[in-house]
Amino acid sequence: METMRTQEVTANDLPWKIEHNTLRCTMCGSCVAACTFNAIEAKMERRSVTISTGHQPEPMQQHKAIPVIMQKNSLAHHCVGCGMCEKICPNKAIKPVRNPDSRLNMLARSGGAPIKRGGRNNLIQERTFDKIIVGRISQMTDPSLDAERHSFDLLAPFGRVLPAHKLPFKQENGELRLTEKTPPVNWIYPLIFSDMSIGALSTRAWEAVAMAVGYLNEKHNLPVRMSSGEGGMPVNLMKSDYLKYMIIQIASGHFGWNRIVRAIPQMKVDPAGIIIKIGQGAKPGDGGLLPAAKVAEHVQAIRGVPKADLMSPPNHQGLYSIEESVQKMFMSMNAAFKFRVPVAIKCAASATSVSVYNNLLRDPYLICGGFFIDGVQGGTGAANEVSLDHTGHPIISKTRECYLAAVKQGLQGQIPLWAGGGVGLTGNAAADAFKMICLGANGVFLGKLLIQLCGCIGNEQGRCNACNTGHCPTGICTQDPRLVKRLDIDKAAQNIVDYTLAFDMEMKKLMAPVGNSTLPVGRSDALVTTDHAIADKLGIQYAC
Amino acid sequence: MKKITTFDEHNRMSTQDLLQMINEAVAAGETEFHIEASGQHDIGGPLWHPEGKPLKFVVTNPGQRVGSMCLPGTEILVDGPAPADIGWLNAGGKIVVRGDGGDTTSHCAASGTVYVGGRVGTRSGSLMKHDPLYAQPEFWVLKNCGSFSFEFMSGGIAVVCGVDSEQFASILGARSCVGMVGGTLYFRGPASGISEKDVKVGPLEADDIAYLDGKMDDFLGSIDRPELRAELSRWDEWKKVSPLSYDERPKKANTDTWSFRTNDWVKGGIFGDVCNDDFVVNGIVSNGTYRLRVPAWENARYAAPCEFNCTASIPSQQRFNLLREGKIDEAYRLVLEYTPFPGSVCGAVCPNLCMDECSRDRIDISAQIGKLGLHSADVTLPAPIVKTGKKVAIIGGGPAGLTAAWELIRLGHEVSVYEADAKMGGKLEQVIPRGRLPHTTLERELQRIADMGVKFFNNTKVDAAKFAELRKEYDAVVATSGAHIPKIIPVPGKERIVPGLEFLKAINRGEKPAVGKRVIVIGCGNSGMDVAVGAYQLGAEQVTCIDVQQPAAFEKEIAHVEELGGVLQWPVFTKEITPEGIITQSGDLIKGDMVIIAIGEAPELDYLPGDMKLFRGCLVAGDDYTIGDGLFTAGDTIKPGRMVDAIGAGRQAALSCDAYLNGEEFVAPIKTKIPAEKLSTAYFKKCHTCDIPEAKEDYLRCISCGTCRDCHMCMKSCPENAIDRKTLADGSYEYVSDPKKCIGCGICAGVCPCGIWTLRENAEPIAMYKTYEN
Repeated sequence: METMRTQEVTANDLPWKIEHNTLRCTMCGSCVAACTFNAIEAKMERRSVTISTGHQPEPMQQHKAIPVIMQKNSLAHHCVGCGMCEKICPNKAIKPVRNPDSRLNMLARSGGAPIKRGGRNNLIQERTFDKIIVGRISQMTDPSLDAERHSFDLLAPFGRVLPAHKLPFKQENGELRLTEKTPPVNWIYPLIFSDMSIGALSTRAWEAVAMAVGYLNEKHNLPVRMSSGEGGMPVNLMKSDYLKYMIIQIASGHFGWNRIVRAIPQMKVDPAGIIIKIGQGAKPGDGGLLPAAKVAEHVQAIRGVPKADLMSPPNHQGLYSIEESVQKMFMSMNAAFKFRVPVAIKCAASATSVSVYNNLLRDPYLICGGFFIDGVQGGTGAANEVSLDHTGHPIISKTRECYLAAVKQGLQGQIPLWAGGGVGLTGNAAADAFKMICLGANGVFLGKLLIQLCGCIGNEQGRCNACNTGHCPTGICTQDPRLVKRLDIDKAAQNIVDYTLAFDMEMKKLMAPVGNSTLPVGRSDALVTTDHAIADKLGIQYAC
Repeated sequence: MKKITTFDEHNRMSTQDLLQMINEAVAAGETEFHIEASGQHDIGGPLWHPEGKPLKFVVTNPGQRVGSMCLPGTEILVDGPAPADIGWLNAGGKIVVRGDGGDTTSHCAASGTVYVGGRVGTRSGSLMKHDPLYAQPEFWVLKNCGSFSFEFMSGGIAVVCGVDSEQFASILGARSCVGMVGGTLYFRGPASGISEKDVKVGPLEADDIAYLDGKMDDFLGSIDRPELRAELSRWDEWKKVSPLSYDERPKKANTDTWSFRTNDWVKGGIFGDVCNDDFVVNGIVSNGTYRLRVPAWENARYAAPCEFNCTASIPSQQRFNLLREGKIDEAYRLVLEYTPFPGSVCGAVCPNLCMDECSRDRIDISAQIGKLGLHSADVTLPAPIVKTGKKVAIIGGGPAGLTAAWELIRLGHEVSVYEADAKMGGKLEQVIPRGRLPHTTLERELQRIADMGVKFFNNTKVDAAKFAELRKEYDAVVATSGAHIPKIIPVPGKERIVPGLEFLKAINRGEKPAVGKRVIVIGCGNSGMDVAVGAYQLGAEQVTCIDVQQPAAFEKEIAHVEELGGVLQWPVFTKEITPEGIITQSGDLIKGDMVIIAIGEAPELDYLPGDMKLFRGCLVAGDDYTIGDGLFTAGDTIKPGRMVDAIGAGRQAALSCDAYLNGEEFVAPIKTKIPAEKLSTAYFKKCHTCDIPEAKEDYLRCISCGTCRDCHMCMKSCPENAIDRKTLADGSYEYVSDPKKCIGCGICAGVCPCGIWTLRENAEPIAMYKTYEN
């Protein structure tokens, strides 16, 4: 007699159920071989029935056992719906199906540990971007531009921008000459490839993004920059010329900086910038989390850690106020590169973001070179689910508020605003970026979209989001060599390059009708919304 | 050597300016710096000499982060205390502080050395790392640390010497080593609150001592406290903190509620007084007592529809079962247990109520039970071996009486039948037209009864005197005299009416009674139709049958009459009988020169004692068919009915009589028809009319409702092989389900074609709960 206890876990408790069609299956074994989560297995299935075939009841026992692919009744190895089985099956015989009656939430906290996963927020599904549209079209009022013919200037500042009257100019012999050093400012593309750390990403994925940046700069003159993330930088990159396209990040764990510092004397060029990461939009309040499974040898080396679960504290120790952050962190990071490299700070968007920005705007040392705010729809490689789903702040209104707070003081544009967290979530990064810039951002940053261009199949509806496990089926966020080698580094880089080239064209397609040949920072008059509440909150026109 | 004073009377150099000044000097080749600082930050790193020469700094009053990101080749001596973040991200330099340090000293240092000759503040040593390419960072503190020391440390060596720290409860502060995953910490002095889930504390081992011993002089020399050498070299005063390995680290709370319940919790459980719970966990499928439902094999608990409908309760499904088993003779004999007239009644005159609701009728056509009766003409049952010595007299040799006789003789009693007529058989013999009941069939069956030993006394009318005699002479009497008094309507001219009963009796006696040319028959029952047919056979030209209500005759009989030219009219109410015919209530004349009435008969009961209970002229008998002590009745004496009713009642009266003679109690049997949904008709293929077998082969179609047909489907279908077929001592069999194997799934009930297996709620009591402890 086969039985089961009511409290045992079975497939109907799990978030995804495998549908296997025995009739189509040819037992090629591809699905089980491919599954990185060990969620399915081949088993024999008993079909034993007694039938009657004559005109009267006469028992005839038919017994057979056939091989099938079955889902494991296991929490530890539950299907995440990545669909690799469906992808590889030659006969359309297997696929994962979402289970609306999943009980995973009730079952997955055994041992008293909160649920951890990667990916992004799965609760918030709104897209304010999609309710805003570029509604002020230059037709007969002011001349509209032609995206194909005219030249456009898509450059955004990274670094402390002095207002005109504070520039230390002296007139000499009919020429303007600088009398003092001004804070370093790099004018870069309004799209930054955001921080995804070595360790969160595989070496191939990280290198693919870096290669794409190099390619876009060298072959297409698009000054896109990439942030390293909080896991350090590869030594070979730091010693190369390509370092000038990189923004180096320091986060609360301060990982990887030993190698960075030691590489400083050998750097041929300066990095494009430094970002001090205080918080992350996807999981504010939860520090960095790199599970031991992903702390492979190279990560141990670069970060200077043993193979252990790496939990960085959410806060930088030793920073107890905004002013202290400015004086200590900004000063130290500026000093590290002898005040040649601009330093910005990244926070998770929060109800307090405007206060923080206002405080930074008062920085008398002119060492604060940018305020990056990260919204709730951003991605992460690993987090406690309670932080992922239940902490964070939407980015659009917060960016707008920061911008308008600066405008009120006449200080807009001095500490550039960069916004991110779900930009390009639906694949429309250019539209999202344009609207964000019109609302007051100098530029945007995105990360999740890049790995989706590399092949990531996760989404906001609970598909995969297993970046923390080390079992990434596409080889993007794992350190398991068997999986990393699944990733085609050239194709991944190519997808990013092609997307960015299209982004560039799409930006122009949006700039042209509003009549801007430079980035329309703060041109909120160009935007219109069909939602009253959004119009009120953002201070843009309502239309219906 | 470059000396920098960072302040004059009113002006203080900014950090930026100081650092740029140092940068320029280093770039120009300077190697030694004396700096009078005034709180400027980040003094000392990351710096490298263009020719790789070592850099030396002596600093007073630095701000925070002195020596941060310090590169190898840089040495910094702080002559006095320094505030927070000394040696932050130290990348290989040597930093010595001859004084106290502030918060977060040596924070994130990944190589190099930090020596502090005093106390350090909170979070010191936190996030220290070890880049495996280089030597481990070292961090020595002469006195004590503030709280949260060495938080998230992942590499490096830290040493806290505990000098001048007796006043502190813990020289490592509170909550030390939280999140520590790597590195080693040595300390000397009291410590508490070290994070147990991250680290373990133990004594020094040989290589620990070797390290401390080897480095102690460099430390004490750097901070200029060589006199402490002996005091700090008592190695048994030292302890070592190591992080738990990945496997040692408790990743989960090891919640052990079983042990808790067994050892610590209320003994016997909190419900122990009202509950006996062994806390064993059952699976959702169980055997035995814990099955939700249990199967029962209830053979013949329900009657087949044929058995139920037949007023003689003939179980025709058993006959077909026997035929299916090849026991032909036994099959044909079985019906004789219930009736001596399978040929005359079942096969000839009975309307075959058995076939009306045969389950097979819902598939194709009902089993041909009626015709099956004809095959029982030539068989008989064995004569009884044991005689009881009791004598029974039966009054009236009709179907009721003869069936009672047939039953009683086989039960071992001596039976005598007293019949007024010349022949036995009652209306079978006297009234039913030979066309409907072949005489040879009847005569054979009457002979069978005689052959069994029943004594026939014909031409013997039992009057009151004879009755009293019989009562004295016999141990029991069965009064089955039927109903032979024709009912006549009390209308004017009723004397002209010929009783149909007499008419038919005359025909059967071989007399050919005269008939008119136009005959009117009052009463359209089967009897009326028999009269009409008889009239035609005797030469009537036109027969009109009338009735006050819809004719009750069988369609077959009506059709026969109409084929002969007869006409049925209803409703017709007779007002008067005249020589011309019948005048109806509505004043019409129905022409006829002979009026025969066939509206039923009443029993003649005057031979019985006067104290009989009567109802509408018929006897009222108990459920046990008694009308007196040892006096029984059955058939038309109680209520006019069909042949089969008389036969069924006759048998039951005989069984009641037998019980009486044996001094036992008679319980009238109660039949329950099998509910149709218990049967599985899916097994059976619908037959085309040309494929319907003959009656004696119709076991191919009979389902065997309510009676096990021994098909073995249950045994072969039971998923747990829990069902066995057991042969019993008397040769019969039963199917049994073993509770130890059975899981109560009900597949047996689901597949059983005959509805024998039934699944019911498991009523076995489980004594889990009680009202009080005992």
